[in-house]
Formats: sequence, structure tokens, C-alpha cells
Amino acid sequence: MSEATAARPPVTADHLRRTLDAMARGDVDVLVLGRESNARYLTGATRLWLAGTRPFNPGCIVVRRTGAVHLLSGTDDLVPLPRAQLYPMSWNPARIIGGVADVPGVAGARRVGVDGMTPLFEHLLTSTLGNVELADGEALLAAVRRTKSAADVDAIRAAIAVAERALEIALGQLRPGVRERDLLGAFAEAMAAQGVTTPAFEAVFASGERDPRSFSTARAIEAGDLVDASVGVLARGWEGRLARTRVCGPATPDHVDAWKVWSEEWQTLADRVRPGTPVGELRALGAEVTGVGAGDELLDDGYRLEPGVVLALGLRRGGVHGEEVLHVTPDGRETLTSFPTGP
Amino acid sequence: MTASPTLDAPAVDFGRLRRERLEKLRAALGANGLDALVLLGQNNVAYASGARAPAADASLAAHRRMVAVVTVDDEWPHLYTAFADGVPEELPADHVHGPIAVETEAGAGELAHSWPHGGVALDEFTVPLHRALRDRQVADASASLSAAKVVKTSDEIALIRAAQRINEAAMADVEPLVRPGARTTELSGRFLRRIFELGATANTVDPIFQIMPDSIDDGPYSATGDLVFPTVTREQVLEAGDVIWVDTGINFHGYASDFGRTWIVGAEPDARQRAQFEGWRDVITRVLDTIRPGASAADLVRAAGTVYGRRPWPEHLYLGHGIGTDSAEMPLVGTDLGIEFDESFVLAAGMIVVLEPIAWEDGYGGYRAEEIVAVTDDGCERLTDYHYRPFES
Repeated sequence: MSEATAARPPVTADHLRRTLDAMARGDVDVLVLGRESNARYLTGATRLWLAGTRPFNPGCIVVRRTGAVHLLSGTDDLVPLPRAQLYPMSWNPARIIGGVADVPGVAGARRVGVDGMTPLFEHLLTSTLGNVELADGEALLAAVRRTKSAADVDAIRAAIAVAERALEIALGQLRPGVRERDLLGAFAEAMAAQGVTTPAFEAVFASGERDPRSFSTARAIEAGDLVDASVGVLARGWEGRLARTRVCGPATPDHVDAWKVWSEEWQTLADRVRPGTPVGELRALGAEVTGVGAGDELLDDGYRLEPGVVLALGLRRGGVHGEEVLHVTPDGRETLTSFPTGP
Repeated sequence: MTASPTLDAPAVDFGRLRRERLEKLRAALGANGLDALVLLGQNNVAYASGARAPAADASLAAHRRMVAVVTVDDEWPHLYTAFADGVPEELPADHVHGPIAVETEAGAGELAHSWPHGGVALDEFTVPLHRALRDRQVADASASLSAAKVVKTSDEIALIRAAQRINEAAMADVEPLVRPGARTTELSGRFLRRIFELGATANTVDPIFQIMPDSIDDGPYSATGDLVFPTVTREQVLEAGDVIWVDTGINFHGYASDFGRTWIVGAEPDARQRAQFEGWRDVITRVLDTIRPGASAADLVRAAGTVYGRRPWPEHLYLGHGIGTDSAEMPLVGTDLGIEFDESFVLAAGMIVVLEPIAWEDGYGGYRAEEIVAVTDDGCERLTDYHYRPFES
């Protein structure tokens, strides 16, 4: 066997350092984390991707005293951690908690940050670790992850490039009679052709209705339809996403006008993307805003943008839906997406 | 919800499917002395309500999660969702609500405020919800969910079978690409394209095409010293003679498939490899002969016996697992939960078992494949329908 391109782990030493700093500020001794995006941010590990939510399972541990991060894994394949920092998998939750308790520095922890919980694990965790106080590890990680380093932004840029190339190929298949889900299939295949086999979300190619749609269907696209394409990939653990609307067939002057209105309104919104702007202000103007990083990130209405934040800024106007990814800089923003707009 | 897959439309009465699931859930609540279930896990919400959410990475799926509340005295569940086009049509309008942001303090407070009365079980907390419920007793929902889910209705079995047909048809289109010089990610790409064209509701797992070593020591580091499987697919170029273990799964109207086979790149199996396949088939035959209502999971483990002097599955995996709204659910057979656990689990008609033994001959590789069966009144019925080429014509 030969390896054409080895999967490169992202730079995570900086992520761990920032997390340890936040633990010190928040007086958190140990983080016990179940969310895969937190684990991949901290370790650079690529574990098997599964769609959808998963109940809390303690899969990643950070110990402030030792400064080490530990991962639930039976191998170091695509896991850039020393073997001593891996702890074993089990079907027995009590045995998993035993593995957590055996991690150096976990015993004696007073405040333990978690990013989720189940009633069962709450019982196991408190009965195994003694009278620990549970803290909000998800909020801690969310705050750390929100502002990106230059290397993080490069990783997002690379993911966007994969999504844009795949979207170009998928939209190249757009013609009357093609079904929405054929375009979804073409997108997925074009993504994989670039070595990326995991999406940030299943692409939606929606035609024929004006309401926002959640799924690609078996509908055959007709000449003159507007096709709303929302796509996202997860490349080396980082999200790259965008949305575009295209006309099936030749664009009319009305289409050109609609895109012009969309462009102007989107530009007005984008001009407000700079440090200090509350996210709620963008939403009040009709923007769809979500954080982009090692997976989706929540941005509350009250949160004021800071340099280093990366967000997707979407707008729906007059049948046109588009979304770009912006990086907030000290004096404004840079646009990370570069896919052409227009009908 | 659109039905009509490109493959044969399964004979499924979706209204009956959803009604029978709710009846089973309410019965499980009653048996556990509970009054209500609050569900945040997306497969659980889909099971209880029939609602669909778009497939997504876990981070996005959590941030826009649906929530369902099932109570013993209400015919319908309450559903909170952002996806209007994923709501089953029969759900009464006063039971369908906009999304509730349980990942935030405000949304968690809202859910805690409208918390059902009596004994309530929950599948998972978000951190804000955990805080909002700190003064309440909350039971774990897994026992009730598992009790309801483990025996499938005829509609559920039809959907698992339909999911498997799509999965198999897509893999049949991947097979011709398996030749020297092809990239593993190309196989993933063809698979993903075909499942969507064929009408899959979602892809649920990154497709696995693992090039197997001849011996455990030649493979990736193993914490247990046992075989490492699965590993995540990365871009690798296939060479003649490579043995690949494939493992893929999709979702169809809420139900999972599971496909596993061993393929050889650009070569026919040699005598030793054929013997490995025969060893695997002997295990499957012995286990299938044992499966019937009343047999315990331990009976299956004993029937599987040993191959090449070892138990035919690695320590961290299992001989078999259930499948339904989750790609691996009860019954679990041969896990590290131990033989006492296996002794206590008794099969019943309507349960599904995905058997995935491995015939591993260390130093010479091995054979792995998966067979899905439904337990019937007097034995079992195969739901997998796929050939074993190139090991058998």
C-alpha cells in the first residue's frame, strides 16, 4: 500500500495553551469533554466521523496541573498524541469512567468542566471522582475556539477551497431534468475527489419553492428555476461553507436585477462586520449568522465581534440566497470565500 | 416527507410506524414507573416524533437540535424544530413548536419552565439544561428507549431492509472502481454520490475502506495488542493484492443500514485467503443456526467459538449488534460488558442482529463481513443480500 497524501494534523499546541489559560482564569482543574469538535480542536485527532448528535461520553480530558490532553482511543492512527495519553474504549460506562479517573491529575480535581452530560454519566462521574463541582466546559471551549489564529484561518480557507471546487463541479451538472439529490451526489463525489469525505452538513440543493428548505429532494429541476445551494465540508477537522443561488438556464434581466439588489444589501451587512458590532444587530437586519471553525460555533445576539472571529454571513432576498465566510480583522473584515456570485 | 426511493418503494405505512413506536414508548414509560420522556438526542427525537433533521457534523446537529417531549397521557409528542419540512403531517399543529435553543441559558430555562409533571426521564443534558434542572430529579432515559426500540415492528424491518438495499446497490457501483491505482477516497466519493442518487435520506458514517496488514504488528499501534479496526479513510492508492475491509452505512427514513465485506484489489484470493473466508462462513453458519427467540446473546458467543485459535472479533468490538434508528444499539453481543451480560440478554422475534465476526490469521491477514438478520418466530431471516465475490462466485 502507498500513501498519496498523509493527513496532516492541524496545529494544536496553541489550542491547548489557550485552553489551559482559560482553565486557570475560570478555576477549572480538569475538562472532561464529549463533543467531537472540542476533541479535534484540542488534539488534532481524526476519529471516525458520524453524522448527528451523540450522547455525552467522556472522550477527551485536559488536566490543568499536568498541562496534558488525553484521548479515548485504542490507536494513535491519525491521533497526534503520545501513546501514554490514550485511554481505552469500552462498552461499559463504569470502565470508561475508571479510565478517566486513572488519568494523572484527575484524582483530587475539585472543579471539573464538562461540555454535556447524561443522567447516567453524572451519577458515574460524581460517584467515581468524589464530591466534584461541575463547571461549564462548553462555554469555556466555545470562548477559546471563537477567535482564530492565522493557522486556524488558513485551515478554514483550505476547507472553503474544497467546498468551492466541489460546488463548481456540482453546479456544472445543473440543467433541466436533473434532480436536486443528483446535485447533492455530484457535490459529495467532487468533495471526495479532493480527499475530503466528510461534510459539515449534507448539502441542500433546493429548487422550485421560495421557503427555506432543509433537504435535497427527488424533484426534477426545471428551466428557469432558481436553485439554492448551501454546502459545507469538514476538511482536516475544519469547516468550509458557502451558499449560492443559480438560475437553471439563461438569466433574465429580472434575475440580474434581483442579484444586484441582493449584492447591495449583502454589502451593507458585510460593512457592519467589524470589531464591536453585536451579532444581534446583523440578525435584526435580516442576516443569517453562524460561527465557523472546527465545526459549527454558536454566536449569541449579545456577543460583540472581536478580531479573529470567523463567521458565515448569509442573506435571503427576492429569491436569492447567498452566504460568504468572513474573517473579522482589527479594522474590518476579509472575505474568505471567493466563489463567483450572480445568476 | 417525500417517500418514493429510486429502488422499490418499501411497503411501509408511516402513520402506523409512528403510532406503534409511540405506543411502545408509552408502554416502556409505564413499565419504568415514569410519566414523561424529554429527548434531545436526534435519533431519539426522530424515533418518538417521526421528525427529520438534516444530517450534519455533530457540532451543527447539536446547535440546531430538535427536542421532543412524550407523556403517558398525551396521544402525541410535543416537537420543537427549526425544520418545518421535516415534520410528519399527522402531528397536530398545537404539538409542533419552533426550535428551542437548549444550548443556551434562555432556551434551557424555557424547557425547564415547561418541564412535564411527575417522573421524567431525559436522554442527555446540555450544560445549560443541566444547570436549569439542578433542583429536579431526572432519570436516565436509556432503559425506556432501549426497551421500546429493541423489538422492531414490521414497518421498521421493512425500512432497515430498504436502507440495506440502497447501501448494497451503491456498493455494487463502487466495486468496479476497486483496482490498482485507484484511491480509497475515490471509492468513498462514488459511494456517497450513488446513495444520494438512489434516495438515501442521509449518509451517517464516513465510509471505511481499510487496507489491512498481514499481521497486527504491521498495522497501526494497538493499545490492546489486538486488531485495529476501523481506521479512518485517508487518501491511499490501492495496489494489486491489497486486502480491504469495507464498512459503510446510510440512513433511510430514520433507519440505518450496515454493509461489511472483504475485497481484494486486482487479484483472486489465494488458497489461504479462501480458507479464511470459509472460517468466517463457518462462524456465521453456527451463529445463524443458534439464533431464535429464547436464545441468549451468550449462546451466540459460544456458537461463534474460535477461529485460528482466537475469539473471532477484537476485544473492543463485538460479535454482533442491533440496528435501528442508531447504527449500533441493543442487542450487543460479545462486548466487554462480559458473559454475564450476554447470559442475561434473551433474543425475541423482531430483534435485529448485525453479525460481524472476523476470521483473523495473524501473519496472513483475514476475512471480515457483516450479515444483518431479523429474529423470526422460529429462527432468523437475512436482511443482507450481497455476494461474497471474489471469495465465492
